[in-house]
Amino acid sequence: MDLAINPFSSGTRLRDMIRAIRTCKTAAEERAVVRRECAAIRAAISEGDQDYRHRNMAKLMFIHMLGYPTHFGQMECLKLIAAAGFPEKRIGYLGLMLLLDERQEVLMLVTNSLKHFEYLVVLNVGRDLNHSNQFIVGLALCALGNICSAEMARDLAPEVERLLQNRDPNTKKKAALCSIRIVRKVPDLAENFMGSAASLLKEKHHGVLISAVQLCTELCKASNDALEYLRKNCLEGLVRILRDVSNSSYAPEYDIAGITDPFLHVRVLKLMRTLSQADADSSEYINDILAQVATKTESNKNAGNAILYECVETIMGIEATSGLRVLAINILGRFLSNRDNNIRYVALNMLMKAIAVDTQAVQRHRATILECVKDADVSIRKRALELVYLLINDTNVKSLTKELVDYLEVSDQDFKEDLTAKICSVVEKFSQDKLWYLDQMFRVLSLAGNYVKDDVWHALIVLMSNASELQGYSVRSLYKALLACGEQESLVRVAVWCIGEYGEMLVNNISMLDLEEPITVTESDAVDAVEAALKRYSADVTTRAMCLVCLLKLSSRFPPTSERIKEIVEQNKGNTVLELQQRSIEFSSILQRHQSIKSSLLERMPVLDEANYLLKRAASTQATISSVKPALAATPGDPLKLPNGVGKPPAAPLADLLDLSDDAPVTPSAPAAAPNDFLQDLLGIGLVDSSPAGGVPSASTDILMDLLSIGSSPVQNGPPTSNFSPPGKAETKPAPVTPQVVDLLDGLSSSESLSDENAAYPSITAFQSATLRITFSFKKQPGKPQETAINASFTNLTTTALTDFIFQAAVPKFIQLRLDPASSSTLPASGNGSVTQSLTVTNNQHGQKPLAMRIRVSYKVNGEDRLEQGQISNFPAGL
Amino acid sequence: MKNTPATSPLSSHISSPSQFGPDRTTFHSSATPGHRLPPPPPPPPRPPASLIQLQFAGSAAKDPRSVRRGDLSQVAAMINFVLLISRQGKVRLTKWYSPYTQKERTKCHLLHLISDDISSMSSTIIACREVIRELSGLILSRGPKLCNFVEWRGYKVVYRRYASLYFCMCIDADDNELEVLEIIHHFVEILDRYFGSVCELDLIFNFHKAYYILDEILIAGELQESSKKNVARLIAAQDSLVEAAKEEASSISNIIAQATK
Repeated sequence: MDLAINPFSSGTRLRDMIRAIRTCKTAAEERAVVRRECAAIRAAISEGDQDYRHRNMAKLMFIHMLGYPTHFGQMECLKLIAAAGFPEKRIGYLGLMLLLDERQEVLMLVTNSLKHFEYLVVLNVGRDLNHSNQFIVGLALCALGNICSAEMARDLAPEVERLLQNRDPNTKKKAALCSIRIVRKVPDLAENFMGSAASLLKEKHHGVLISAVQLCTELCKASNDALEYLRKNCLEGLVRILRDVSNSSYAPEYDIAGITDPFLHVRVLKLMRTLSQADADSSEYINDILAQVATKTESNKNAGNAILYECVETIMGIEATSGLRVLAINILGRFLSNRDNNIRYVALNMLMKAIAVDTQAVQRHRATILECVKDADVSIRKRALELVYLLINDTNVKSLTKELVDYLEVSDQDFKEDLTAKICSVVEKFSQDKLWYLDQMFRVLSLAGNYVKDDVWHALIVLMSNASELQGYSVRSLYKALLACGEQESLVRVAVWCIGEYGEMLVNNISMLDLEEPITVTESDAVDAVEAALKRYSADVTTRAMCLVCLLKLSSRFPPTSERIKEIVEQNKGNTVLELQQRSIEFSSILQRHQSIKSSLLERMPVLDEANYLLKRAASTQATISSVKPALAATPGDPLKLPNGVGKPPAAPLADLLDLSDDAPVTPSAPAAAPNDFLQDLLGIGLVDSSPAGGVPSASTDILMDLLSIGSSPVQNGPPTSNFSPPGKAETKPAPVTPQVVDLLDGLSSSESLSDENAAYPSITAFQSATLRITFSFKKQPGKPQETAINASFTNLTTTALTDFIFQAAVPKFIQLRLDPASSSTLPASGNGSVTQSLTVTNNQHGQKPLAMRIRVSYKVNGEDRLEQGQISNFPAGL
Repeated sequence: MKNTPATSPLSSHISSPSQFGPDRTTFHSSATPGHRLPPPPPPPPRPPASLIQLQFAGSAAKDPRSVRRGDLSQVAAMINFVLLISRQGKVRLTKWYSPYTQKERTKCHLLHLISDDISSMSSTIIACREVIRELSGLILSRGPKLCNFVEWRGYKVVYRRYASLYFCMCIDADDNELEVLEIIHHFVEILDRYFGSVCELDLIFNFHKAYYILDEILIAGELQESSKKNVARLIAAQDSLVEAAKEEASSISNIIAQATK
């Protein structure tokens, strides 16, 4: 290999190393080769070897590319750069750019050697910028342009500025691009560059022109003064450049598909847009040339289309005349009907911006856009869906929603989530027509109930609770849907809630609408449906809990079925899921021993306060939006990001939905209020016990919540264990395992403390890969908030046993960690029994910083070493 | 990797962006190499008349983008990174022009805080590997007829496949995707001319040369030179400087060898 300067070199050559790596059959072999090479290179470095420095650097770059650490080579780059010869400098600078890109800053800062290293780089680069050889100057400029930090930018800006006036055009263009990086790092320097940047626009060399145009664009972004200055001084030159290049005859050097230098075209158009934004005079000035480019550019090749696309964006971005805008929209129309997917994609992209300019014109393409939602290409589908969403208004909402919902039925699984979110958001936005809203929601729930977000179906329940004339219709529709599509989680939840509440409307066909066909449902049919939902193996805890509540309610709605319901509830008393077990025990107690109060206890829920719910929901959505702001900042001015497009709205706990205590305060002097009385009876709390408290009156609602707070309880369980109040005293917090319940449950107190611990900190799945799942459960000693005992349990998901299993964990400095030995070092296959290991962590900054942990797991599969690592950041808050 | 046609010339796949696999037009077979692209795809069908008769309410409509993009919070390059991956997901070239988004960086930072305890691997490398893994999953799985853009973490990745290699460039959401496609092709044509019908093996064994060429095309993520000829000339001049230095070195070592005999 020619990289070895000395032809009699020993050691492996670059080519041999690459070959050796390429022949490796396994990752382990590759690691071994790399380790050997790295060791040799390290040895050479420490011996100060000069002959192979060049070649070693090339090897290190290759190793770096494979993803191995090469930080030890960083100093070698500098030594190569400091050498006198061009070959050494060339590879040295390349190494510097590769091994030390900016992302290393964090690392270097910590080791506190960044300052020193940077100083050396500045010294060397500064010297090379003054070199007599233009190629060496070029190398230094290129490296600076690709990696310089703010400090380096400040130090070397004067040199770079001087090089903008260099005689050699290649140096000039590199200096211009290097200035871009400098201005990005230190925007204050923008004004220093604007004079030279403007004068570079008078050059003939295309490389210089392109670089100068880009520099001007960057300057405009960085400083308003520069924008003003360039607007005054450059526009004329830009128009001339664009005219020359678009009228130029065949120029072989720059020709692409019959167009001279499309790159220059695009960049000039972009700068024109920046300069003329919100400025009528300059917009008018460039009107003609834009019209010329828009009409004369050939659109049968990608290069031409790139120019047209940029031209349209510029027309949309400035104060263009209406004629010009018609031209632009027509180009987009043509793009949209193109057969090339790329062109259609950019058309959809641009139409999104055009909506703000002329909605009507975009509406005309609605049918085509709707077709794009069904495209085979996910990129196009996404764009089209965003666009359709923006196009929906009062007049077309019904037809467009129908199209989208119809498509939901056949769409790809991975697209359903986006589509469902968009449909739900549209349907909610135009929900004035409640019947229509319900119909659409029912369809969406039936087709893609697994993708419907919690807050969406919560809102649906709130609405149904308020629409008394539609409750009968709702429960009947949902019952039919439940029979047909029982595997959609949120559908099941909404349906069982409705059946529980409005069961009598289902069997008696109460408040029939004209359009409905009467159905015959017997009481036991309804119970069958709920029982099936409860027993469906894939149903999650929340759904099952809702089914239990529903059954409980039905037992009072349909007295003849109550014996059967009692049996179903009894079956669940031994459920392994604590939540379900507890509910079953509570409910069966109600069914067996408290017949007298059952009917009033199981009355229909009071009408949910719609305004209050919407308010809360908006607040929580707001919170999400502010938390995703950084992500949005990546695309400022981007009109596509609508609130409902963002991530996942927080799963508003259902408790919120049912939370009546805030808004319907029962006066403290209300011991006479009937519900309180029997609730207190029910809970076995004597009047003596209940006397201290503004808390007791609200207990009625709290208990109601407990009965209905469906599995979401751990989430909202605020107070840590240290706040634990002794049994017997009324709790105001809607904690699911309030001590009162204990009385009701007759001596379950032994499990009480355990359940409380679990409720306080839900266990998490800390890590999951194809082979392995690690779950953490947490326990805190009362009085030691900093200390948490974690019980890690490992489950093997593969069909082969994992041997020599070792789990390691690492934590930041403010946390102390103690690892106890694991229960076994062999994980049996297919999750047949798991291995547990306990950890104790002490968070010295409890309450200020959350727990964080990195883990590494090593094990052997069929004798082969495996290593997995990950980071755990989903610790419950408050640990 | 062994069974890949790593030797098949990339140029056999140089074709108009929308056409891939079936097009075997060899770039070098044309009479004037470099200035001619494969036959143009058929022109787009004429737009229906209704598209032309669009009316505007007036030019007074406010531009949604009048909020200037010059927000200093965002100082990203036009091209954020360049990535060459093989069909097997092996990295052949990477070049990062802008640091990651804020989110990425904090993640790196957090990783670093913990990382020195757990492994010697730097946070950077972990983050890079993650990006590459994620992207190769996204891109390699796409079918041949789909468009050349994928949306990823709020950015867009423009990719194009040449033989066994995918050339990917990551740009901001509102940059010109079509032009970046042209830049990729520009890069490939220059590589092709330099190596003479370039193939994946050339780029593996002479990866540093590919980097030199890229550095003559892009700096700071911005385009430097639109003339292929000029890039070729600059690279040739620098290569000859290296050759000259090498000859000088070997003649000196010969002289020393002679003298010390």
